[in-house]
Amino acid sequence: MAAPPARARADYDYLIKLLLIGDSGVGKSCLLLRFSDGSFTTSFITTIGIDFKIRTIELDGKRIKLQIWDTAGQERFRTITTAYYRGAMGILLVYDVTDESSFNNIRNWIRNIEQHASDNVNKILVGNKADMDESKRAVPTSKGQALADEYGIKFFETSAKTNLNVEEVFFSIARDIKQRLADTDSKAEPQTIKINQADQAGGAAANAQKSGCCG
Amino acid sequence: MVGLAAIAELFGGNAGTEELEAFYPIRPDCLADIPKTRFRPRVGKTLSARRWHAAFSEDGHLDIEKVLRRIQRGGIHPSIKGFVWEFLLGCFDPNSTFDDRNQLREQRRERYAMWKTECQNMVPVIGSGKYITRPIITDDGQPIEGEDCHVTSAVSDKKVAHWMLFLHQIGLDVFRTDRALAFYEDEANQAKLWDILAIYSWVDDDIGYVQGMNDICSPMVILLENEADAFWCFEHAMRRLRENFRCSTSSIGVQSQLGILSQVIKTVDPKLHQHLEDLDGGEYLFAFRMLMVLFRREFSFVDALYLWEVMWAMEYNPNIFSLYEQPDAALDSNSTQTLHAKELKRYGKFQRKNLQNGHTDKNCALSVFLVASVLETKNRQILKDAKGLDDVVTILGEITGNLDAKKACQNALKIQDKYLKKVRLYFYQKNS
Repeated sequence: MAAPPARARADYDYLIKLLLIGDSGVGKSCLLLRFSDGSFTTSFITTIGIDFKIRTIELDGKRIKLQIWDTAGQERFRTITTAYYRGAMGILLVYDVTDESSFNNIRNWIRNIEQHASDNVNKILVGNKADMDESKRAVPTSKGQALADEYGIKFFETSAKTNLNVEEVFFSIARDIKQRLADTDSKAEPQTIKINQADQAGGAAANAQKSGCCG
Repeated sequence: MVGLAAIAELFGGNAGTEELEAFYPIRPDCLADIPKTRFRPRVGKTLSARRWHAAFSEDGHLDIEKVLRRIQRGGIHPSIKGFVWEFLLGCFDPNSTFDDRNQLREQRRERYAMWKTECQNMVPVIGSGKYITRPIITDDGQPIEGEDCHVTSAVSDKKVAHWMLFLHQIGLDVFRTDRALAFYEDEANQAKLWDILAIYSWVDDDIGYVQGMNDICSPMVILLENEADAFWCFEHAMRRLRENFRCSTSSIGVQSQLGILSQVIKTVDPKLHQHLEDLDGGEYLFAFRMLMVLFRREFSFVDALYLWEVMWAMEYNPNIFSLYEQPDAALDSNSTQTLHAKELKRYGKFQRKNLQNGHTDKNCALSVFLVASVLETKNRQILKDAKGLDDVVTILGEITGNLDAKKACQNALKIQDKYLKKVRLYFYQKNS
């Protein structure tokens, strides 16, 4: 991907490129649609290859343009989707709390990131479909949190359907990246920025509200 | 004037819209989510049921030339789409009789039933009216316990395990296929689509299942009521598309069509190609989806069907049936330069021009030129406003619901013309 200068255009102060990855059917496109358009559609469709949406948000008086790339979940598209890892500043790793295998695969996705993304990329773990009935849940919140702690990244449980924590996830990773970029600017030493501290991840757990069931 | 009145009644003055809605009803809660439909059956242009039936001789030979002319002008009326598609895709030979075709249809139905039984024996949920969305075995072939146990012992056969790992992916996609259509509110119809894709991925294990095949298969399930007939129609569509879905560790088949697209744009509009290259878009990955699912996301359901049939009519090769049935025996008439004008008329417009220019690259499909024509309509905007690939994607996104399928195909033919001329010129310059 071409990386136009992050602050070249006038309609924003920062351009942040995010990437959504995770198994097929965990709700990546629905999360994105909820965040970019504020809606949840019942006529959802499979993502073929890659897709993207834009939303501009405001953080501490700065206009942040989020360019969010959405990827196909099927393993077989990997050769196409990994081409987009390179330009990403932040990656959202999404699993479905009702599907254990999608959670177990997060480790594979992280390995993919290590292979294809830049070293200092920000990561965040997202357990989607948290609105589902507790009887359908296959991954307890504590397990998600433990995995996030292990990798030293933040963790949220979300629901694109009920709009639970969707804003929080995107704002959280955007804030961390903006901070990283601002630090880079002031120090002009891009390699020394420390990110993803484990204590931040602990704080995020409190934000992840417990959800009720809504069928 | 009785005749005219009858035709007017058949198509209806204003009835076009209502009629389409009756053929492919949309769920009311999804109306806002889908692009609007532009296609309307037109008197004197669209291939009507009456014209279609009149194109057969008494014993069933089809005047394909007449039919192609109509389709290229105005598509096919919804009442007969499925049957006409079977000919366009080469399931049947227009030079055969009703009896020949009935016999072939029966044979194919039996073959499908056989494969289905074979699959059912391995995974009993196939053909049950239900389908699965969760994996039934692990990557190393161990059964995963589910609500109803699908596999009871470890799967050691590599081919079987490979196939079983597709089944939940197919299910996840079937659940999300054309959800705006009332047709798929019925779980039995979803299961029908799942069965066909599952059996296809068993039979064509070289390709297996790749996301996007669901988008290609869905219309066949709707247009052809018999499941086996729908399977064979899909199977024939896949004969021209399957290379796009071939996945290796380093590439996806569609990238070779993207390579041709790059060649075409470089030839007909070097300035645009250079600009895209400067944006690191020289691989044309932004057109990936358009080619992979043949513009299904840029058009409404009805318009995509219209686009496909106009494309297939323009690409039509009268030897398609024999090429498929006896690939070794069939004379490749593409190589003979002695085609008479009368014979040429039995080819679609696109294919005819390729023949006349001795251009026979199989990957050089009309869809590639269609993407090229879309890029050309946005040429100025891309050159002026696109400062990154995201802008290119945004600009191209504006075509969704705003393209006329027939006009787009006609523009594609113009680009093909320009391309062939330039290639020929280059060839002569090189050799003189």
